[in-house]
Amino acid sequence: MKRLLGRAAVLSVLVGVLLLVGGGPGWAEEGVTDKEVVIGAGMDLTGAVANWGVNIKSGMEAVFNRVNEAGGVHGRKIRLIAYDHVYQPPKAVTNAKRLVERDHIFVMMGHLGTPTTKAIKEYLEERKVPNIFPSTAASMWVTSGPGHIGDLATYADQTWMIIDYLVKEKKIKKIASFYQDDEYGLDGHLAGKARLKQHELAYVAEVDYKRADIDFSSQAAKLKESGAEAVILQAVYREPPRLAEQCHAIGYHPLFIGPSPIVVDKTIELGGKHVDGMMGVEVYPLPTEPGAFLELYRADMKKYFPNLALDTTNLYGYQKAALFVEGMQRAGRNLTRESLAKGIESIKDWDPGWGLKYSYGGDQRRVMSRVGRLVVVKDGKWTKTSDWVELKEGGRK
Amino acid sequence: MVEILTSQVVSGLATGCVYALIALGFVLIFKATDVVNFAQGEFVMVSGFISYTLLIRGGLPYWLVLVLTVVASGFVGVALERVVVRPIMDAPIFSIVIATIGASTVLRSSAGILYGYDVLPLPTLFSKDPVRLGVLTFTAMDAGVIGSSLAIMLALYLFIKLTKTGMAMRATAQSQTAARLMGVSVKRIFSLTWAISAGIGGVAGVLIAPIIYLDPNLGFIGVKAFAGAILGGFGSIPGAIVGGMLLGVLENLSGYFFNAGIKQVSTYILLILVLVIRPSGFFGAAPIRKV
Repeated sequence: MKRLLGRAAVLSVLVGVLLLVGGGPGWAEEGVTDKEVVIGAGMDLTGAVANWGVNIKSGMEAVFNRVNEAGGVHGRKIRLIAYDHVYQPPKAVTNAKRLVERDHIFVMMGHLGTPTTKAIKEYLEERKVPNIFPSTAASMWVTSGPGHIGDLATYADQTWMIIDYLVKEKKIKKIASFYQDDEYGLDGHLAGKARLKQHELAYVAEVDYKRADIDFSSQAAKLKESGAEAVILQAVYREPPRLAEQCHAIGYHPLFIGPSPIVVDKTIELGGKHVDGMMGVEVYPLPTEPGAFLELYRADMKKYFPNLALDTTNLYGYQKAALFVEGMQRAGRNLTRESLAKGIESIKDWDPGWGLKYSYGGDQRRVMSRVGRLVVVKDGKWTKTSDWVELKEGGRK
Repeated sequence: MVEILTSQVVSGLATGCVYALIALGFVLIFKATDVVNFAQGEFVMVSGFISYTLLIRGGLPYWLVLVLTVVASGFVGVALERVVVRPIMDAPIFSIVIATIGASTVLRSSAGILYGYDVLPLPTLFSKDPVRLGVLTFTAMDAGVIGSSLAIMLALYLFIKLTKTGMAMRATAQSQTAARLMGVSVKRIFSLTWAISAGIGGVAGVLIAPIIYLDPNLGFIGVKAFAGAILGGFGSIPGAIVGGMLLGVLENLSGYFFNAGIKQVSTYILLILVLVIRPSGFFGAAPIRKV
């Protein structure tokens, strides 16, 4: 009995020491020190979607620069390390390993691209590095459980909205899909297929393209032959104008409509008159709209990135970073991956000052916002045509 | 159906003409100097940025931009030959080829540093609106690209066939030693060949950049043109032209009949087939081995 008591005493002392050491300041979370928190991202800075990459990174940095100048969050400055993955999955993996193993990042934040982020998904899970607000609205991020969390309505949600709009409001039944042949394009493509089935319809043509393709004349010919009245663009900003041009060249003028990645000024700059009337889904306000948060955005961009034009791309990064900072505020001074997750999950009806509210969607639906509205290219500008609506939960089944 | 097929062929020919121009650049340099210049695609990219700068930032008229761009691209070619290739001319061919790959990376990165990696639109002389001619539907752009390419090819043919310098170029291609003995300045011919190749690449750049947009990665189009040159028989000028055009048409048709994945690899499938059946390409001379 005495021996047993002795053992219990030794054990409790050991546990106590462990607890003390574990809770002490020297044993903080990876990437977090007293004065700094290091976060990582993979971006496309020189490849096929560099316009998105460069702008998202700048938008995020604009927020972090302002916050850091004001002393940081709970006394910690935020340092973002972003490497260029050129929108190529293998490079994204190398970069992620470098960020986690050499730079010891606290979290991955705003990682760009669906195929590129999918490539690092398992690795991040293995290393228990949270994937916060990746710059891809694929539905997998909101349904993959803890470790991943999305910020805005998914491509599946958005495509359901598009299908419902075409079928119910425009009474269009001949709908075709033009999609990027990878995890990005397939998300919306398959979700659209599922939604059409619920309307007892099917795509009249399914036409794919490869990342970084530059010629779509054969796709245009196939779409024309299908007689589709509307073409859904599961593409980024480079393909829609070129496809529209090549469709018009063979005398084919369908309604083009796509999810949020096409809603950038670049689409209009490249396409000119050929993208007039093109429609898109917007999941956050346009950079020119009123609102205190947008005022702040415009001031920060002017101060930190005077050479970059205000664009949906950098606003996308900016809102992400603001949401992240809010999560860190709520996590408190004791910053761990767990406390950050709790902080983000506690966000409910939070409006940074632009009329759009963020709320954590729940454990089955790890996303912060699910609103969307339709925009159209009018007089060389993306112009809103509907009010914000809460989108239905779209899926691929 | 017929209408769509013909329009596929015409737009394929337009892209194919651009491949042909770049392929010509590969072949000219190879014939004269035995070097495969892997920076050939970068002439297309560089000239795209030169014309962008003159046109958008300089506000010069289009025809002047055209002339200046082609001349400037020629100078880039000469500079490349002088700075990168000539100092190592006595090194094994393999080293020189690697040096040209290095040069292409430097050019690409420099463009990225100077202009960023964003995609830029470039205005064009030709309209992108459709024109109908019987069963043919094409754009003025397609017609313009095909017409200008053919004109350049004809001019080049006449230059090589009829002028004294052209004869000197042919002589150098056959035997450098003999040409030197006949009083031909081989070094001058080398520079000239690089200038002409780069100039043709420049024309290709001015023609293609408005179509597929301008960015520092534009030069990768050279890889396809290279395949076109091999298809036609590397070292043959008519081969480069036919190979390039064929490639453009084949790409379009395979994309139409199959999907994007097949379109992407169709070039290389054909290339392998041709090399297996006829290793010297369509127009290449069968290698003569002296025993």
